[in-house]
Amino acid sequence: MDMNFFLSTIIGTLCFAVLAPIVGCLLSGADRIISARMQGRVGPKLLQPYWDVRKLLGKDKIAVSGSEDTYINLALFFSLLAGGIFFSGGNFLLVVFVITLSSLFFIVAAYSTRSPYAEVGAARETLQVMSYEPMILLMTVAFYQVVGTFDVGGVMLMNHPVICTAWAAFLGLLFVLTIKLRKSPFDISSSHHAHQEIVKGTTTEMSGPTLAKVEIMHWVENVLFMGWVGVFFVYANPISIAVALIAVVLIYFFEIWIDNNFARVKWQAMLKWAWIAALIAGGLNVAFLAFM
Amino acid sequence: MGLIGFLILFPLLSALLLFFIKSDTARDAIVVVSVATIVVATLALCIGNLSTPPVYFEFDSQVVEIVCTILSVVIGVIILWFAWKYKNVLAGVLGAIQLVAALIFDFAVAPGVHVEQGLYIDSLSVMMAFIIGVIGSGICLYALGYMKDHVAHHSEEEDRRPLFFALMFLFLSAMFVIVFSNNMIWMFTGWEVTTLCSFLLIGYTRTEEAIANSFRQIIMNIAGGLGFLLALYYCAINMHTLSFVEFIQMGISAPAVISLPVCALAFAGITKAAQMPFHSWLLGAMVAPTPTSALLHSSTMVKAGVFLLVKLAPLFAISTAPAVMVVLIGGITFTLASFMAISQSNAKRVLAYSTVANLGLIVACAGVGTPEAVWAAMFLILFHAAAKSLLFLCVGTAEHHIGSRDIEDMDLLFERMPQLARNMMVGIMVMFIAPFGMLISKWATLVSFVDNHQVALIILLAFGSAATFMFWAKWLGKLSGIAGHPANVEKTVYKSEWAAIYTMTALALVFCVALPVISSGVVMPYISGVYGYTMMALDSDILALMSILSIAVIFVLLAGSTGGSKKRKVDAYLAGVSVNNADRTYRNALSQEATATVRNMYLADTFGEETITPVAVVSTTIIIIGAFAAALATVAALL
Amino acid sequence: MGFASKSPWVIHYDASSCNGCDIEVLAALCPGYDVERFGIINTGNPKHADIFLVTGSVNEQNKPVLQEIYSQMLEPKVVVACGCCACTGGVFHDCYNVLGGVDKAIPVDVYAPGCAVRPEAIIDAVVEGLGVLEQKSEALKEQQKRGA
Repeated sequence: MDMNFFLSTIIGTLCFAVLAPIVGCLLSGADRIISARMQGRVGPKLLQPYWDVRKLLGKDKIAVSGSEDTYINLALFFSLLAGGIFFSGGNFLLVVFVITLSSLFFIVAAYSTRSPYAEVGAARETLQVMSYEPMILLMTVAFYQVVGTFDVGGVMLMNHPVICTAWAAFLGLLFVLTIKLRKSPFDISSSHHAHQEIVKGTTTEMSGPTLAKVEIMHWVENVLFMGWVGVFFVYANPISIAVALIAVVLIYFFEIWIDNNFARVKWQAMLKWAWIAALIAGGLNVAFLAFM
Repeated sequence: MGLIGFLILFPLLSALLLFFIKSDTARDAIVVVSVATIVVATLALCIGNLSTPPVYFEFDSQVVEIVCTILSVVIGVIILWFAWKYKNVLAGVLGAIQLVAALIFDFAVAPGVHVEQGLYIDSLSVMMAFIIGVIGSGICLYALGYMKDHVAHHSEEEDRRPLFFALMFLFLSAMFVIVFSNNMIWMFTGWEVTTLCSFLLIGYTRTEEAIANSFRQIIMNIAGGLGFLLALYYCAINMHTLSFVEFIQMGISAPAVISLPVCALAFAGITKAAQMPFHSWLLGAMVAPTPTSALLHSSTMVKAGVFLLVKLAPLFAISTAPAVMVVLIGGITFTLASFMAISQSNAKRVLAYSTVANLGLIVACAGVGTPEAVWAAMFLILFHAAAKSLLFLCVGTAEHHIGSRDIEDMDLLFERMPQLARNMMVGIMVMFIAPFGMLISKWATLVSFVDNHQVALIILLAFGSAATFMFWAKWLGKLSGIAGHPANVEKTVYKSEWAAIYTMTALALVFCVALPVISSGVVMPYISGVYGYTMMALDSDILALMSILSIAVIFVLLAGSTGGSKKRKVDAYLAGVSVNNADRTYRNALSQEATATVRNMYLADTFGEETITPVAVVSTTIIIIGAFAAALATVAALL
Repeated sequence: MGFASKSPWVIHYDASSCNGCDIEVLAALCPGYDVERFGIINTGNPKHADIFLVTGSVNEQNKPVLQEIYSQMLEPKVVVACGCCACTGGVFHDCYNVLGGVDKAIPVDVYAPGCAVRPEAIIDAVVEGLGVLEQKSEALKEQQKRGA
């Protein structure tokens, strides 16, 4: 057994646990400012998400179900672990499975409250996972076909970026990224905006410090997903990292633009289009890489 | 070899005793003692033969040949008798054909071929023996308590428990025959005994539905049996051998020759493993008492089908027609059965579809036929056996105590049956999520598909897995709900049921944690025995990490789900004035009392059986016909 | 300044008004006034809210609703009565079914008069409420420290 693997995973997770919330918080703050500007407003300060979470941490500690807390802690832990594995160059599929585990615990946490609104949100969140999962799996397969290993670190030995031969899978990823980032038109399980039919969906019964953990989890997830976007651009040339960062910024802006310009769709449309995207973009790319 | 003989004969003895002894206390004692003996013998066999290379025993007996012939006749007569009694023409015709064909084979063809090494043992049969001997007999133990409740709930029925328990043990014996026989005639006899046992067990309650479903099972499985028989004829006449290992070796050196018999055997395996288009027999099988379903789904019957296919894996790697058939049927079955599972709220139906789906994955792996794929297939078999039997036992117990097997009625099970719900949750998680076993096996499956450029399978797996997440997650969620403090209804569960359930949970978890050890101690030796080299789809580092994580998750969940949170408990938000928040009743905008209820989504319009079954049946039937046509063409070309 | 006052999330409930004040409350929350500059977000969920904006007078029918929403909000929390009716019962004060202002049902921290209340007044009242929120937050911290 290789101790280096465990060591790098642990160190990676610790670093990620410190850095990702900071980056994710800033991303979220920028998101809110940019959204506001797109709507002709000034918007909050960059650190607003941080203040929100600090406020939530200071609120009273209550819970509807006794086990909700455990599930949320596990969800947060696994999202950090997924990020740690990813950014320490670990196995891409493992990252996908661990982040899915995190989503599962988030869903079960919502179910465990047995609140009607949270349950509807949880059911929709499950649908969201089902919608994006095929594309994500096909994306990792395409990655493997290009790089020759599932290890994310493998891109550093490539002499061209993954996107050159896996651009279709990248487009597919962009499509489901909107679901993963919980952006409109696919924010069907819980929306940022008030006055909707399921109150706050999955997070309806999560309050105070629990909600703060959920917020941090979303930040961390966003950083991880942007990492997935970036890894398509990185190769042996160090300049590619800068290119990847620019690409990530542009893609994030693009997602905010989508969020502000599309009305929420029904789950049927989400499932249909996400699966069509997976079948065409993912399926064709995998087939092309396998046989060409 | 003594232990092998003991494992085959001892359950037979128990079956005989149980058939003739009617007293409850005596039955309890016999079952407990038999189960304990079988478990001890199985463990002794497994420990004694850990990492064993394939060993073939010189064993050939005229007596066994005669017994096989007699059994063929008995099976044929029983089927014909039932077909006559219930006026089922198709079953009668198929049964008659099989009886005649088997007799001609036994008297005219088989005597010319001599198999010296009748029995064998390798790591795959050790693993199968563990599944049959420990999980299968654990289910027999569970059946003791369950059948008492069953008889109490169905007082209008005749108490046929002696027959029931006799069949359960006969089943185990037949399964041991299948996994240890190198003589294909003996294997075929075991095969047919399992078909007959499940026929009788499915029809146990003798209701109209049960009879209809048992005939569906027997018709499909006799068709499969005829495929097996066709392969036997071909082997005996064209290849002059009935030794399974020789058959495989000859096939590897001359792939064209074995194209037809491999197709025929694969067809037998596909029917037995309830692959599409034959999946309906397994769904029908759930009319039987739950222990029967558990036995059929986890450790016997369907596992015989996939066992045969995994044994044939090296031939699939080189023989195109059967491989394409097996790979495509397995892949399509996995995806479409997973889709249909989404639309079901009946827990047993969800489990049945999930079984069909997972077997599909095993079948697809066998069809790919590389060492990596066989590695994945063996782990899928192992984890599926433990987790699925656990889930069936849990659903059976829940059904007797909450009066329903509908997942929607399992609302609040976390508090109504706290121990049971936790066991069920473990079973569900082991079935579909990292870091537990089934997911790791699926992961290995994916890697082996990618390495072999099986693009269709990759896509089928991606969509099927997404559906898998959906139907398990919503069930898990339903179980986890906490509201109010409903009465605990699990105090009357029998001790034997708890013993079996906790054993299955422990097994499922031990398999997860011990995954790296099982890989090097059981799975690798088999693969190196068959292929001469080993290859693993996953790094040992990842296996170790998963093993550690599964311990961590279980520990945290058990510690945390006891409801020990120190936070102040508050009511749920109901968008109105709560009347009784624990029951989720509130006063609505019209000042009337209303109850907030939520059902899970079943997406019946998209994933309903009516939509998907025709697609499944038509596509897989075409594939089977095409593969047989190709195999026949190969044979014709040889002539 | 602590964090409690930097991210006041509000929830709005219409007790029984003529809807004039409700329109003004929504106007205040709309992009035109851009209250998100102060971190104010309109949540539809009492469990996430810090500030409770109530419009309209209280009667027997809506009193328990008000009380339930109030009780489901987490400490620290502030109630702002928006408009004359919410402050005192307003023109409806002597109706047979009206109990009076919001303070007949739950404790009110800030009163924002006006018929209808102007968005500027609402924003002023919320900002005023932030001070109260801060005090309550300090008090909660003290209490938790003593409790622990």
